[in-house]
Amino acid sequence: MKKYNSIELLIKLQADVRQMILEANYLQSTDPGILLQQPVAGKWSVIQVLEHLNSYGNYYLLAIERSLLQNKPSTGAFKPGWIGDYFTKLMKPGENGRIAHKMQSPKDHRPHSHPDAFPVLTTFLEQQHYLLELLERAKAKNIGGIRTPISISRIIKLKTGDVFRFLIAHEQRHFVQIENTLVAVRGTTNKYPATLPVM
Amino acid sequence: MSDTILLRQFITAAYPLKDEEMEALLTGWQPFECRRKTIITAAGETERYLYFVLEGIQRGFYIGNDKQEATIVFTYAPSFSGLADSFLTQTPSKYFMETLTNSRFLRKSYKEIEALMNQYPNIQRMVLYLTGFILKGVLERQIELQCFSAEEKFKALLKRSPHVLQIIPHKYLASYLGIDATTFSKLLGTVRL
Repeated sequence: MKKYNSIELLIKLQADVRQMILEANYLQSTDPGILLQQPVAGKWSVIQVLEHLNSYGNYYLLAIERSLLQNKPSTGAFKPGWIGDYFTKLMKPGENGRIAHKMQSPKDHRPHSHPDAFPVLTTFLEQQHYLLELLERAKAKNIGGIRTPISISRIIKLKTGDVFRFLIAHEQRHFVQIENTLVAVRGTTNKYPATLPVM
Repeated sequence: MSDTILLRQFITAAYPLKDEEMEALLTGWQPFECRRKTIITAAGETERYLYFVLEGIQRGFYIGNDKQEATIVFTYAPSFSGLADSFLTQTPSKYFMETLTNSRFLRKSYKEIEALMNQYPNIQRMVLYLTGFILKGVLERQIELQCFSAEEKFKALLKRSPHVLQIIPHKYLASYLGIDATTFSKLLGTVRL
């Protein structure tokens, strides 16, 4: 298993979270009608995707905050566990932004059909800032030694470094879905201008 | 370390400090690197660090309605970087800072800079002096944005910083001037400097 410098890993994860904050800021300036529209009946709207992510944030951010209270100082290194690494790789979109394995969401994480657009976006952004803060706190901690219980079964505890990794990979995966949803709803890509290649 | 030498040269040229003050100021900077198109600080965050750019180009930008981006500022070596207003006031930023190219920095936390300013009045004066020049630049730019035509803004930029044409992608320069990218390339072809 690849061994990471734990601080560098946390800095990289913070950069990933900031990228999603940027994309959520673009969504804030998008017509709410577009954000609430389902591409086809039964498929999620952009807001439903975000609500799905918020439901995980609700659980994981508190769970991580609680586990980071443990007094185990950073060792400077982090080695993923095999389950955590497997989950992360399963979730993470490929370099080309492709989703390799389709998945079904668990029932208790399926969003409502017509939530209000802005509160969902606001909650998402608040959660991402909270996540940045937790990643910052984690720099002083042993993210391999401290374990966090996962949402499927609280009995299973994974290394907190892995929980960060798959939580963020899961968000990245759904941001690919958000981009695809926007294309389907608008019929054209009007993707976040900041991520266009430099001329 | 040669990176600190660059910082020393920059400060020496900017403001006179006594040896003791200079040594205190130069200690404890952390090297920090990131790839191109990395968000260094996001809107809603409070800037924790003062950055000194060793390599690369960065820009601050605001996301307006309807996905309109406004480029607020560019930074490149050798100079300080980061969201200056958020850093100095320790309040959340309204805009983003990103790298446009692979970048290398030295950085120092707000707490450390604050402690230095408390201990050495001269370092505080230096920060005030440099902030004053930032403010002067910002207000001059405000005048240009409000009173100048597209062509005048274009000319003013090239007079002040002609090298940016070579190092910064033109779409960002257009966004910085608040003009259309096509207008910018037209001006580039027609305006004689």
